[in-house]
Amino acid sequence: MTLMSTCSAARLLGLTSIWALAWVACNNNPYPPTEAGEKVLYSSFREAPRSLDPAVAYDTGAHAITGSVYDTLLEYHYLKRPYELIPGLATDLPTQRPGQAGYTVYGFSLRPGMVYENDPAFSLGMPGRMTREIVSADVAFELCRLADPAVNSPVVEPFSNIQGFQEFGQALTQRREEDLAFSNLPVHEQYAALGGIEGVKSVGDHGLEVSVRSDYPQIQYWFAMPFTSPVPWEAIAFYDGEEGRPRFADHPIASGPYRLQHYDRQSRMVLEANPNWYGAVHPEWAAPGAVYPSQGAPGDLEAGLLAPEWAGKPLPFIDRVEFRREKEAIPYFNKFLQGYYDAAGVIKESFDQVIDEGGLSADMEEMGIRLEKGVEPTIFYIGFNLDDDTVGRPGGERARRLRQAMSLVIDSEEYTRIFTNGRGIPAQSPLPPGLFGYDEAYANPYRSVDLERARELMVEADYPQGIDPNTGKPLTLSFDTYDTSAQGLLQYRFFTDAWRQLGIDVKVEATNYNQFQEKVRNGAYQIFMWGWVADYPDPENFLFLLWSDLARSKSGGPNTANFMNDRFDDLYLSMKSRPNGAEREAEIKEMREILEVERPWIELFHREDYALFQGWLENVKPFGMSFPMTKYRDLDPAERTSLRKDWNRPVVWPIWVGLVLLIALIVPGVMTFMRERQ
Amino acid sequence: MESHLASNGIVAALFLAAGVTVWMVRRSRLWSSAFVSLWRRRRFALLVTGVYVAVALLDSVAWVGGDSLAVDTVARHEARSVIDRVFGGNQEKSYSAPFAEAEFYGGGDLRYPGRHWLGTDMIGRDIFYLTLKGARVALLIGGLTSLIAIPLALLFGISAGYFGGRIDDVVFFLMTTLASMPGLLLLIALIMVMGKSTLAVCVALAVTGWVGFCRVSRGETLKLRELEFVSAARSLGVSEFQIVMRHILPNLMHLVIITFVLMFSGLVLSEAILSWLGIGVDGSWGQMIDQARNELSRDPIVWWNIAASGTALFGLILAVNFVGDALRDVLDPRTIEDER
Repeated sequence: MTLMSTCSAARLLGLTSIWALAWVACNNNPYPPTEAGEKVLYSSFREAPRSLDPAVAYDTGAHAITGSVYDTLLEYHYLKRPYELIPGLATDLPTQRPGQAGYTVYGFSLRPGMVYENDPAFSLGMPGRMTREIVSADVAFELCRLADPAVNSPVVEPFSNIQGFQEFGQALTQRREEDLAFSNLPVHEQYAALGGIEGVKSVGDHGLEVSVRSDYPQIQYWFAMPFTSPVPWEAIAFYDGEEGRPRFADHPIASGPYRLQHYDRQSRMVLEANPNWYGAVHPEWAAPGAVYPSQGAPGDLEAGLLAPEWAGKPLPFIDRVEFRREKEAIPYFNKFLQGYYDAAGVIKESFDQVIDEGGLSADMEEMGIRLEKGVEPTIFYIGFNLDDDTVGRPGGERARRLRQAMSLVIDSEEYTRIFTNGRGIPAQSPLPPGLFGYDEAYANPYRSVDLERARELMVEADYPQGIDPNTGKPLTLSFDTYDTSAQGLLQYRFFTDAWRQLGIDVKVEATNYNQFQEKVRNGAYQIFMWGWVADYPDPENFLFLLWSDLARSKSGGPNTANFMNDRFDDLYLSMKSRPNGAEREAEIKEMREILEVERPWIELFHREDYALFQGWLENVKPFGMSFPMTKYRDLDPAERTSLRKDWNRPVVWPIWVGLVLLIALIVPGVMTFMRERQ
Repeated sequence: MESHLASNGIVAALFLAAGVTVWMVRRSRLWSSAFVSLWRRRRFALLVTGVYVAVALLDSVAWVGGDSLAVDTVARHEARSVIDRVFGGNQEKSYSAPFAEAEFYGGGDLRYPGRHWLGTDMIGRDIFYLTLKGARVALLIGGLTSLIAIPLALLFGISAGYFGGRIDDVVFFLMTTLASMPGLLLLIALIMVMGKSTLAVCVALAVTGWVGFCRVSRGETLKLRELEFVSAARSLGVSEFQIVMRHILPNLMHLVIITFVLMFSGLVLSEAILSWLGIGVDGSWGQMIDQARNELSRDPIVWWNIAASGTALFGLILAVNFVGDALRDVLDPRTIEDER
């Protein structure tokens, strides 16, 4: 009996696998054939975002969703560079007027008549209601959430420039500890009971006034990020993760151009055009955030980015975005090559197959694939701990010469060539291209390789040929890192080999992360390597890394080099609150000159992003910030379908060969069997 | 800073030990006939092992200064071994293929065209030189770890087997506990606790590796202590310690040698696995393989790094295993009987 059933099971299994094989052989399209004619963008994700709560989500993976789903008061212009803000949900860019001493009041006014996506949560306010108007109180509510320590937002620090922001958070914590009844209230009632944040006031239903410290005009950029999107209190009250309801972090309720239609963290996320979006409901407004721009940066017209089929037309063009989970890079890339994904990064494994001398390889070109390079607003650098006796401030002029010499032998171009496949442009100063204050013509005299000059500087620093006169031996420094991987060690070898040319013996101290953190806390480090990715495109967001108030040894801030220079600080504080213009440029230039001589950093490179796009994807302009610009994109489904067919012709001959081989194997067996039966 | 002196001292001690061993082997009829028979069986494997040992020793003898001005200041003040002096100092910028005249990617000029017999790695280091340097690390790992693990195993094994009772219970409990823990996890945990260094890796490998031999030596001791000559010694009033040193230990010696050789290759392999997990020893073949991991998926492929380190590792382990097998045949009393 058992034997019988195993047999039939095996037969069944065999049959199904044959059928499955036949089915796969006909077609390798992972999507339903009915989608072929639709404007669907196919994208992927590796790990599901941890949270879609706009107050918390702070990584590229989550922004791919939140950036499309949540609308912001302000937005970035899709085409213009340097980056420019345009109004989104707001009717205009914020007005500014002086407030209380040291504060500036930013006035926003929201468009009236905008509503959220449909969601049963809104029945909390009024039974049976599916949506409601977006009001300025919702933005104020979200700002309160940022200040709420229980939300644990990663961006509390910049928002602390809002008047009363920190005090609100502290008061909230205190009330919750003291008053149990209070802590059991829904959060929106808690916020209301405390009167909200002092510096945030909604004026009527659509006006919002935010009072921010005058030296932080960069707050405007934060209003172009989902952190400040309007969030209805109903969403938080309803989606609490209890009684089968999802958490708010998994179930956004928003007002953006797309809505999250399907969310399966293991395999698939789907965005679809939001019918309630103000751009869709009120095309007559022609709001800047809801139509494709008719003006762009120089070169955009030639690049076809301003073609009449798009310029001035209402957004979005693409109806649906499918995110499929792809855990491995190579299969993902292969599916891109088969036409089943519309965009891809250039993976390291096939870099040389795709890129040929900085451009696309001929094969890719033939497929109509486009390569878009974009310099990301990043800086990677080697830093010196300026509190250190040998390389830092206590070493005086000698240490400065030493840093200059060490800077003169690091070849950024060679570094990017070896370790990043040439993706990155050598950095001359902390400011990457695309930012105000970046000067293409500027060449840092200490950032080109000049071994002779470096050796002279070593002599001037009284380390002739690297020999420390105190010990009679080569100067020994330590390079502290927590990257213990083999690949990482090779990188550090690259630097230490360069410094060896000067006779400096730099030892790599690779420890685990905890030990490294302890070293940094105790100031027991000399040289380190670090990178910074900007939150918003303002020079302040890079130069603050060298402001003395944020020195690691002083306040535990991100100025790990512990650079403290009075003149630099003055310039920084003055530059920070100044609008872009000649004066600001002059200040940035002077700061750059200070850094040039002082060398707290050896600037290495600004990372460059190589992205591949299929020919049928249109309106693609690389965008340095980590927000999806999906609503501006367009695609040609007919071309995609025909090219996919072209690229995925089934290869049939191996099946015939296999069949022939199989027969060749069986025939002798059958013949022997027949012979023996006779 | 004086580590090179220690290293030199160890080499000298090793030579001394080798001399003494040779002298003792020649004096004892049993051991010298064993050696002759071993040589007859596995001449080639012995020679290959000898080459590895020679390279490792040459890399262990180091001194400061005394060479040309061609090398940089740091190198002139560093202790550099014979291998460093002969094969080092021919650094390129990046990858170049074996015997290549130009760089592999981009085709830039090389400083030493045609001189890299096995090519260069990502940051331009000569693979032949790195492979030679790996021999010392491999032998250090194998040797040092065995030096820790075998005495440990002998101590526990003999005391458990000879004295029995409570001691046996404790030792057996210890062994089963260790054996029931996943070895690799324990290794990783130990290295995390002790920090990443050659010694830490060796100690961790030793702690997880002594159990097997301990079991064997306990069993053998159990057998030996019941034999007539031990009973005779005991009835003559010889102290327990004397009995162990004079009668038990020498009779375990052949097992020690066999275990040492077989354990050795296992340890070198374990280190390669640890390197692959990112917690290995600096400069080992395992680390080279780890660094070369992504090179195989490059297009065009960079194969020489992994090929060189892999072959070196394979060669050593194969040779040592051959020698170990032959040793087992030669030293095992049962097979000796067969031969005569």
